[in-house]
Amino acid sequence: MSDAAGDGEGGFVERYSTRALFAGTTVAAVVALLVAGLLFPDSLAGTLAAVLTSENTLAAALRLSVPIAFAALGGIFAEKSGVINIGLEGLLIISAFGAVYVTEVTGGVWVGFVAGVVASTLLAALFAVVTIKFRADQIIAGLAVWLIALGLAPFASQVIYNSPNTPTVQTMGSIAVPVLEDLPFFGALFSASPTVYLLFLAVFCSWYVFERTAFGRWIRASGENPKALDTAGVSVTHVRYAAVIISGVLAGMGGAALSLDLGQFTGNGPTMVNGKGFIAIVAYLFGNYNPVGAFLSTMLFAGLDAVQTVLQLQGIGVPRQLIRITPFVVVIIVLALVGRTQLPEAAGDHYETEE
Amino acid sequence: MASAVHLDGITKRFPGVVANDDVDLEVERGTVHALLGENGAGKTTLMNVLYGLYEPTSGEVRLDGEPQAFRSPRDAIDAGIGMIHQHFMLVDPMTVTENITLGNEPRKWGGLAVDRAGAREAVVELADRYGFDVDPDARIEDVSVGEQQRVEILKALYRGADVLILDEPTAVLTPQEVDELFDVLDELTAQGKTIIFITHKLGEAMRAADDITVLRDGEKVGAVDANATSQEELAELMVGREVLLDVDHGAADAGDVVAAVSDVVVEDDRDVRAVDGVSFEVRAGEVFGIAGVDGNGQSELVEAVTGLQEVDAGEIRFRGEDVTSTSRRERIDSGMAYIPEDRQERGLVMEFDLVENGLLGSQHGREFAPNGRIDWGDTRAHADAIIDEYDVRPPNADAEAHSLSGGNQQKFIVGREFERDPELVVASHPTRGVDVGSIEFIHERLLELRQQGVAILLVSSKLEEVQGLSDRLAVVYEGEFIDVVDPDETTEEELGLLMAGERPGDGDGGGGGFETASEAEPAPSTNADAADGEEA
Repeated sequence: MSDAAGDGEGGFVERYSTRALFAGTTVAAVVALLVAGLLFPDSLAGTLAAVLTSENTLAAALRLSVPIAFAALGGIFAEKSGVINIGLEGLLIISAFGAVYVTEVTGGVWVGFVAGVVASTLLAALFAVVTIKFRADQIIAGLAVWLIALGLAPFASQVIYNSPNTPTVQTMGSIAVPVLEDLPFFGALFSASPTVYLLFLAVFCSWYVFERTAFGRWIRASGENPKALDTAGVSVTHVRYAAVIISGVLAGMGGAALSLDLGQFTGNGPTMVNGKGFIAIVAYLFGNYNPVGAFLSTMLFAGLDAVQTVLQLQGIGVPRQLIRITPFVVVIIVLALVGRTQLPEAAGDHYETEE
Repeated sequence: MASAVHLDGITKRFPGVVANDDVDLEVERGTVHALLGENGAGKTTLMNVLYGLYEPTSGEVRLDGEPQAFRSPRDAIDAGIGMIHQHFMLVDPMTVTENITLGNEPRKWGGLAVDRAGAREAVVELADRYGFDVDPDARIEDVSVGEQQRVEILKALYRGADVLILDEPTAVLTPQEVDELFDVLDELTAQGKTIIFITHKLGEAMRAADDITVLRDGEKVGAVDANATSQEELAELMVGREVLLDVDHGAADAGDVVAAVSDVVVEDDRDVRAVDGVSFEVRAGEVFGIAGVDGNGQSELVEAVTGLQEVDAGEIRFRGEDVTSTSRRERIDSGMAYIPEDRQERGLVMEFDLVENGLLGSQHGREFAPNGRIDWGDTRAHADAIIDEYDVRPPNADAEAHSLSGGNQQKFIVGREFERDPELVVASHPTRGVDVGSIEFIHERLLELRQQGVAILLVSSKLEEVQGLSDRLAVVYEGEFIDVVDPDETTEEELGLLMAGERPGDGDGGGGGFETASEAEPAPSTNADAADGEEA
């Protein structure tokens, strides 16, 4: 990592240099913090180091990253195919509510999970029809998806439960892998909600689809030069529908995981989703549309969020409100530093076959 | 034996237009057939019928004597027809192999994965069979335009094409790459493939083709043997009247320096130096030409001179004054006219009529907007004058710009710019995509202005144009002037080498020139390489 950072400082112009520089700096900062914490356990650095190395922090970061990372994977599918899906936030909200509602009605937590995914997929399908068939502006339609879900979910809850918050239902629980769960720090990876394992699987599958399958190539071609794909005899429309619907499925898994891990949907204000869909967009941009990269950057944000939660409780002399915004400040810095992400050439453009 | 391709009495009507009127075309197997005509003559429509994009209103398509009814390109592809479009249908960030196999990827594991090794092997084998020089693992964005074109051809061959249609294949190539392309076509026909290429360039049709069919206004006006015709005959068939192919140049009567560019550097959006320290002067009454393959910094240089792009270093003087950082408006007002390379993007507002388009650039001027309000009467008279003087058809100032043909749009722009009484005309690809008749007209007008003592900066990737019109000619390569030559004393081959980045004098084996030596001549460069090695 420090090599990569060195390249960046040397002004070596290549595509990933700012990313490499940023990643290198982050790792260096964390290492410096840990060393300082070890040397002065009573200082602020000591507190931070203790928080960072705690198994609880990793567990919390994983839990937080599940909805964001699922949404980010979904966003990658849609945007790589040329459809910018900024409605991820809405997909998370609708699936979070749908999952809890169906769980409450049926009593089956996995039935609820599937229902959440279906709800999100239906909304994504609507978005796909509006943007692909009726050629609506993708940004406006995406905002509409968010606003629809933001209004609909708390409203439905109000009608059904007489409160924007649902009653609590059964949760997903957790699955522990024997022996491995006892590892220091990394044990958190092996004693987690089933949705965490699902996420690992989804990251791998997404990577596999893009790197190894013909369908993955068609998605890339559809976003880069749809005409090339069309003249090669593959329907751009079909590929884009498929990609947007996959984004609905993935975001739905994220939303359902979010609410079912807590066993409740809370619909006050920005709802329990609270901007995770938008952070997901930043995560996949920072991850340069790579599923693994998106997952790692999600972990960065989720880790910061976990750290700030712990710090708020510990009281380190900095006002809570300031600590709370740390993840968002980092988001802005990251975006400014990364600057140029190579968007798919045709992202946001409608495609019409020639007739 | 029946012809490989036989189009019999094809008529294609669009609402209000007959694009093809009872056109016959016969192409023998294993030959190269040129489809020649001006823009709008119906060449592309005819080929779109053959490629299944259009269904003909009447007439029949036959392949090897068998009647065909194509409903989509898919049908045509299945019948063994491949089309190489003028704008390549390639995905830039993907590799050569990925592009060639796109949509027809070999699979393994029951379709769950692309057989990448198999795909690469298939591509290598195909390239070897036809003697193509391509790197299967290179990304499209990293390879030359000529190689991209070979990838397009391989893509068609990979899909089993037997008949290849090439739409204006030479438009984006250097002269050396054109030679390579023609070699490739020879190899393909030698192996039994049939080639149809669409062009409006007479010389290329004669050089590369065995037979030539000429279209004019949607009708077939002649089919000739390429070896038994002349450029004059072809030009007359195309245009319908006699055409003067050679511009009467006359000696330059150069006066004072009108524009001086010194050590100008322009960086593009990615901070790459698109123009890297260029200096030149343009004098009154001379044409200073800039030749080069597109994308070597010409656009950025022109935009720097005209005030559309900021200069990162260096100085631009116009009429003795430093205009390096003055606005576009000031430069127009002080007498700088500009014919932009992309007339639809920069030259005209396509939804405006000609009255409004004629006003563009003069909207602040006293003559059209006294007291800040536009005088539409004067503006209309101005547009009518341009239409009349520059033979814009149809002669209707109320027509919207997009309804005019490319040649007429261009004539209108030329008229508007020349009517400013400029001291400097910056003409960027003034005849790109324009029919032969309009080209002749625009060239005449440019030389007229030169005669009147106007300074002209001409940028073009058409060699015969810059060579024919310029008094002095610079060749640009990767943002630098490789050389400034006397166009009358320089051959097309020499210019081609300069355009490919080979500096003058490199051929003698001095200065490591073989690094940039053109691919077209591998033998001499290899020799030079070996010779150097022995000396060392």
